[in-house]
Amino acid sequence: MRESSRRTKRKIRWSKLYTFSCFRPPNADPDPIKSLIGRPGFSRVVFCNKPHLHRMKPHKYPTNYVSTTKYNVVTFLPRSLFEQFRRVANLYFLLAAVLSLTSLSPFTPPSLIIPLVFVVGISMLKEAVEDWHRFLQDIQMFDEATCQSVRARTSNLNEELGQVSIILSDKTGTLTCNQMEFRKCSIAGVSYGGDLNEVDLAASHRMNSDMVACSPNLKNLKIPDAHREYSIKGFNFRDDRLMDGRWTCNSNVYDITMFFRVMALCHTGIPIEDDQADKLKFEAESPEEVAFLITSQELGFQFCKRTQSVMVLKELDPDLGGIVKREYKLLNLLEFSSSRKRMSVIVSTEDGQIFLLCKGADSIIFERLADNGRSYQEATSLHLSCYAEDGFRTLAFAYRRVERADYEHWNSIFMKAKTTVGPERDELLESASEMIEKDMILLGVAAVEDKLQKGIWLLTGDKKETAINIGFACSLLRQDMRQFHLSSVMDSGCSNQSEVILVAKKALVSQIKSFSQEINEEHNKHMPFALVVDGQALEIGLRSDVKDQFLQLAVECASVICCRVSPKQKALITRLVKEFTGKTTLAIGDGANDVGMIQEADIGVGISGLEGMQAVMASDFSLPQFRFLERLLMVHGHWCYNRISKMILYFIYKNIVFGLTLFFYEFYTSFSGQVLYDDWYMTAFNVLLTSLPVISLGVLEQDVPSDVCHQFPALYKQGQRGICFSWKRIIGWILNGAVASLIIFLSTIHALSTVAFLGKGKVADIAHLGTITYTCVIWTVNCQIALIISHFTWIQHLFIWGSILLWYIFLLAYGALPPSYSHTGFQVLTEAIGGAPSFWIITLLVVVASLLPYFIYMVLQRTFYPLDDHVIQEMKHCKKDIFDKPMWLREQQNSKRTTQVGFSARVDVKIHHLKEAIQQRRESIYNPTQRCPSPVAFWSLLSLLGKLVQTQGTAHELDHPPT
Amino acid sequence: MAARGETSSAGGNDAAQDPFPSAQKMSKRPKSKQLGFQFTQQELPACKPILTPGWVITAFILVGVVFIPIGLASLLASKRVVEIVDRYDEDCIPQSFKNKTLSYIQDDKTNKTCTRSLVVPKQMKSPIYVYYQLSNFYQNHRRYVKSRSDEQLRSKDGERKTNTCEPEAFAGDKGPIVPCGLIAWSLFNDTYKFSVNDTVLDVNKNNIAWDSDRKHKFGSDVYPKNFQSGGLIGGATLDSSIPLSEQEDLIVWMRTAALPTFRKLYGKIEVDLEVNKTITVTIQNNYNTYDFGGKKHLVLSTASWIGGKNDFLGVAYLAVGGICLFLAIAFILVYVLVPRPLGDPSYLSWNRNPAGR
Repeated sequence: MRESSRRTKRKIRWSKLYTFSCFRPPNADPDPIKSLIGRPGFSRVVFCNKPHLHRMKPHKYPTNYVSTTKYNVVTFLPRSLFEQFRRVANLYFLLAAVLSLTSLSPFTPPSLIIPLVFVVGISMLKEAVEDWHRFLQDIQMFDEATCQSVRARTSNLNEELGQVSIILSDKTGTLTCNQMEFRKCSIAGVSYGGDLNEVDLAASHRMNSDMVACSPNLKNLKIPDAHREYSIKGFNFRDDRLMDGRWTCNSNVYDITMFFRVMALCHTGIPIEDDQADKLKFEAESPEEVAFLITSQELGFQFCKRTQSVMVLKELDPDLGGIVKREYKLLNLLEFSSSRKRMSVIVSTEDGQIFLLCKGADSIIFERLADNGRSYQEATSLHLSCYAEDGFRTLAFAYRRVERADYEHWNSIFMKAKTTVGPERDELLESASEMIEKDMILLGVAAVEDKLQKGIWLLTGDKKETAINIGFACSLLRQDMRQFHLSSVMDSGCSNQSEVILVAKKALVSQIKSFSQEINEEHNKHMPFALVVDGQALEIGLRSDVKDQFLQLAVECASVICCRVSPKQKALITRLVKEFTGKTTLAIGDGANDVGMIQEADIGVGISGLEGMQAVMASDFSLPQFRFLERLLMVHGHWCYNRISKMILYFIYKNIVFGLTLFFYEFYTSFSGQVLYDDWYMTAFNVLLTSLPVISLGVLEQDVPSDVCHQFPALYKQGQRGICFSWKRIIGWILNGAVASLIIFLSTIHALSTVAFLGKGKVADIAHLGTITYTCVIWTVNCQIALIISHFTWIQHLFIWGSILLWYIFLLAYGALPPSYSHTGFQVLTEAIGGAPSFWIITLLVVVASLLPYFIYMVLQRTFYPLDDHVIQEMKHCKKDIFDKPMWLREQQNSKRTTQVGFSARVDVKIHHLKEAIQQRRESIYNPTQRCPSPVAFWSLLSLLGKLVQTQGTAHELDHPPT
Repeated sequence: MAARGETSSAGGNDAAQDPFPSAQKMSKRPKSKQLGFQFTQQELPACKPILTPGWVITAFILVGVVFIPIGLASLLASKRVVEIVDRYDEDCIPQSFKNKTLSYIQDDKTNKTCTRSLVVPKQMKSPIYVYYQLSNFYQNHRRYVKSRSDEQLRSKDGERKTNTCEPEAFAGDKGPIVPCGLIAWSLFNDTYKFSVNDTVLDVNKNNIAWDSDRKHKFGSDVYPKNFQSGGLIGGATLDSSIPLSEQEDLIVWMRTAALPTFRKLYGKIEVDLEVNKTITVTIQNNYNTYDFGGKKHLVLSTASWIGGKNDFLGVAYLAVGGICLFLAIAFILVYVLVPRPLGDPSYLSWNRNPAGR
C-alpha cells in the first residue's frame, strides 16, 4: 500500500510539528547517537519475568500490533469523509451543495445534496467493504497447492493493469515455484537420470513438427508424466540403474552408499508423519533439502527420526540385502551460510567411525578436496556443466573420514569458538570450520530443477553469471540479442574514496556512451538489445548526474538485467524508470526485500507463495503463483482497461448530453439560470436512471472472451498504446455528446414551440418541455450504451431497458404525489404528455437522429479501419476459429511474434541451444586441437543426439497416440 | 512455428497443470454451475451482436421504412390545420401616439379599443382555439418563475406564505396579496371580441386550463385579495368574488411558458367558420409590451392529432428517413464494390504493420 507509506511520511512530519521539534535547532551534538542512548525512542528497558513493570508508565511501550486495515469502527466516519473530500471534485460539489442552501443558487438544495450524499456514501461503502475483505476470485487463478486465490487489495488501479509497459521482477523465488525436483545426479563419475524436462520435450517436438495445424500443447506433452506409475512431489528422477535398489549391484557400491548418506544426513530437515505408512514427508529450511530427503527415501535411505544428538536412518544395506535401521550420532553441524556456500555435519556411526559429510557449491567443494579425493573430479565437472546448461541447480557432495584424535582436538577449538561472545565469534567459527572441511573425497553432484514458473518477461537478478544464465533460461535474453555489459571495477587499493568513485564514474559514462552510439548506428531498427548491469555499476549509474544517460540506454534495450541489487536500489530503479519513461510500471516480487520496489511501482504485485507475507502486505494485488500474472494482465488487465475506458468515455458523453441541454436552454432564458428539468429529474439522472447500465458495462463488458485474450497477446498492446483512452477518443466522445444534445434540444423546442402539442389545443409550458426533453435524453444515453456494449447478458438487458422503463415508472409515481411534493411534475404524464401522440413520435425521432452520427461513424470504422478486437469479434462471430483453424492458429502465432513471451520463446531458445551444441560438438570431434578431449566430446554428442531421438519419439507418440 | 505458445497462456484446465490435486483441497474450490458462480466467473451466457453488413443495411432500411410514413402522416396533419395569425401591437397604436407608445399604453384615459378584420383562408371546423402570442417575453426567467406561492394558491391556510413573492408579497399593512408574486401581477389583460357579419361569436373560456391545475393547484376557497392595489399596476385585475380555481385566465397565465415566444389559450369558438368569411375582432389593447419591445399576436387555429400547425416533425421525420434510405443504398454499394470479408485477418494490426508499432 503505497498510500500507507505516504501517510507514514506525513505522520512523521506532523509529529515534528506537534512535538515542536521543528523549532529546535538541528542536533549539534558531535556524537548524536551516543547521547541519545537511554532516551525515549532509542533504547528500551525491559524487565525479565516482571511483566507488571511493563504496565506502568515509563516502561509502557506501544505494542507490536500491526494493523492491515485502514479504518476501525471509530475512525471510519471522520477518516473516510476526509478521504472523500480531499478530492478536489468532491470538495467542489460540497461547496456547491453548501451554496445551494442560500438563495444564490438556481438549484434547490436536494438536487445538489442528494447526489453528493449518494456518491460519497457509495464511495465510503466501497472503502468499508474493501477494508473488510478484499477479494477477487477467478477460478482459473486458483492455486490448489496452497488454496490461495488472487486477491485484489485495492480497487483503484484496475485500469492500469491494462497499460503496463514495464515489468520489474525479482528473480529468486519469484520466477521459480520454489518447488525443487531432484532430476539428475552424477555419482563417482557416472551420470544418472536422463529424463527430459518440459523444455526439452517441447524443443525437440518443435524441431520436428513444421508449422502445421496440429498444435499439441503442454498438456499433451505432459502425458508421459502422467503415464508413470509414481509421481512424487520433489522427485522427478528415473534411472533403472539406481531405482528399486538396483544400485546395490553396481560395482561402486561404497561411493553410492556414501552419496546417499550425505543426502540423507547432511541437512536440517525433520520428518513428518504422513497418512501413508511407509513414506514420510519432510520439512526443511530450503526446498532443495526436501527434494534430497525425498530422493534418498525413494532410493532406500529413509531418514526417519531426529533427536537432539541422533539421526536415525533406515538403510538398504547391500551386504545384508535388507533394510537396516542405523543410528548416527550427530556430533557437530556446520551451518550453511551464503558466504560459506556449504554445509557439513560431523556424525559418528554405530561402529565409532567419524565422518564429515559435506555438501555445497561445486567450486567451494572442489577447492577442499584431498589429493586422493579427486579421482572423479574430471568426469563430475563435465556432468556439472551439462546440468548447468540444462538450467539445474547443482550441489556437490563430499565426505571425509576423521580420526577420533583429530576430531577431539578440533572439537575443543570449535566449542571454544562457539561459546565466544562478541564480534570475533563469527571469525573464529569460520576458521574452525575451515580446519576440518578439507581433504575431502568427492562423491558426486546432484542436480535439482528449480521449477520455473510460466510466462516471465523481465527480471532483476543477483549474481551476474547466474542472472545471465537465468535470463537465457526464461528467454529474457535471446541468442540474437546484442548484450551490453555495464560493469565497474572499483580499485580498492586507492585510498581516496571519492577519487575511486570519480574514476569509476568516468569509466561508466564512457561505457554508456559507446553503447548508445552502437545502438544509434545499428541499422536494423528491430534488433533487440540487452543490458546487463552489475551492482557497483548500478550504484554509480543511479547517481543523479549519470542517471539520465544510464536510463536512456536502459530504456532502449529490450531487456535489462541488474545483478547484485540491494532492496533500496530496487526501489530506486523502479522510481527512476517510472519517472523517466512515464509509463505504467509493475513490480512483482515475493520476499521482504521486494517491498520497496512493490511500493514504488504503479502496480505492486506480491506473490503469496512460500516466502512469507511481507510482499503481499505491501502489494496492490497478490498472486499465489507467478504464472497468474499473465492472466491478471492479459485477461483482467485488458478487460479492466477496456471496461474502464469505455465506462469513463460513456460517462463523459452521458453527462455532456444531459448538461448541454441545460446549457442550451439558457440561451432562451436570457441566461437567468432557470433549469429546464425538475429538481428530482436532475437528482435521479446519475443516481437512478443511467447508473445501472454503466455499472454493467464496467463490470461485465468483454470485448473478446478470456481465451482469446490469452491467444492474442497483441491485444494487450491496445492498453500500452492507450488507444482506448486517447485524446482523440475523448474529444470524439465529447463531440458526440455535444451533437447528440444539440439534436435533442433543437428537435424538442422546434417540435413544441408556440403551437399546441396535443389535440385539445393546449400548449407546452416549462414542465412539459423539460419532461419531454428529459425523456429523450434518457432514451438516447441508454440506447447509446447499448451500442457500446458488445457483450450482452441478461443483466445488461435488464439494466438498460429497465432504466428506460424505470423513468416512466418514476414519472408516474412522481406525478401521483400530491402537488405540494411533485410541483410541476404533478400528473404530467397521465394528464398532459402521455396522451399526446407528438410526445411519443418526438421521442422516436430524437433517439434515432441523435444516435445516427455515432452509428454511422461506427459502421465506417468497422468497414474500413477495423481494430484488432473488431476483427477477432468477427472471426468468432463467423466461427472462423472452428472452420478455419489454420488461419486462427497462424494469426495467434503472428500476434505473438512481436510480443514473444514466455514458454514459446523459451522453446525457441532451447532449440537454438541444442542446434548450436550439436554443431560445436561435431566440430570439436574433428578438431584435435580443441582443448576438450574428443572421446568425451563424442560421448556428449551421442548423448545429445540420443536425447533428440528420444524426444522425437515421444513427440511422435503424441501425434499418434496408441489406440 | 505453429505450436506451443498457447500452452502457458491457455490457462484453461488447471487440473492438468497442477499435478497435486487432493480431494480435501478441491472442496475449497467453488465448482457449482449456479448463477452466482457464472456471474463471479463472468461466464454468463451472452449474445455478442456485431455489426455485420447485413445488420447495417437492415437497420438503415428499417429506419427509412418506418420514418417516412410517420413523416408523411405528421406533415399531412400539420397541413390540414388552419391557422390565422395577426400581429396587432403596432397597428393598434393610434397615429398620434406612434412615437410615444409608452405614454399611450400607460395612460388610463386613452382609448385602447382597436378593431381588426381577419379573413378565413379555409374552412375552420370547430373548436377553433383562440390564442394570444407574446414575443420577447421571458416568462421563463428564473426570478420570474420563482415569484409565486403555490401554498397560497392552493388553500386559504397558506395565505400568508408569501416569502417567495417579494416584492409583490404584501400590500403595506393591508395584509398579504392574493395571488402574490410577479407572475400573477403581470397577468395578461388584452381582451378580444369576435363577430362575423355582426353576429357575435361566443368565446368559451371554460376548460382552457389543465384540469389538474383547477382541481388541485388552485383552491376553490382562495379569493383574490389586495390584488393590483399597489402603486404600480402590472396587468389585469381579478374579481375578488370568484375563487381562484375558477379564474381560468389566471390559471393559464400561471403556467409559465418555456420559451420567450409563447402562445396561451384565450378561449374556444365553438362554431365552424366558412372560407372567405371576414371576422371582425374588437381588441382592448391594454397590455404593455412596448416597454421591452415585445410583440403581440392574435391566433385563431384549429387542431389535429399532432396539435397545431407545425411542419417540423413531418419534415424532420422525412429527412431522417431519407438519409437512412440513402445510407442504406450507399452501404449496399460499398459492400458490393469494396467488399471486406468478415474477420479478414489481413486487417489485424500485426499483419498491416508487421514490425509492430
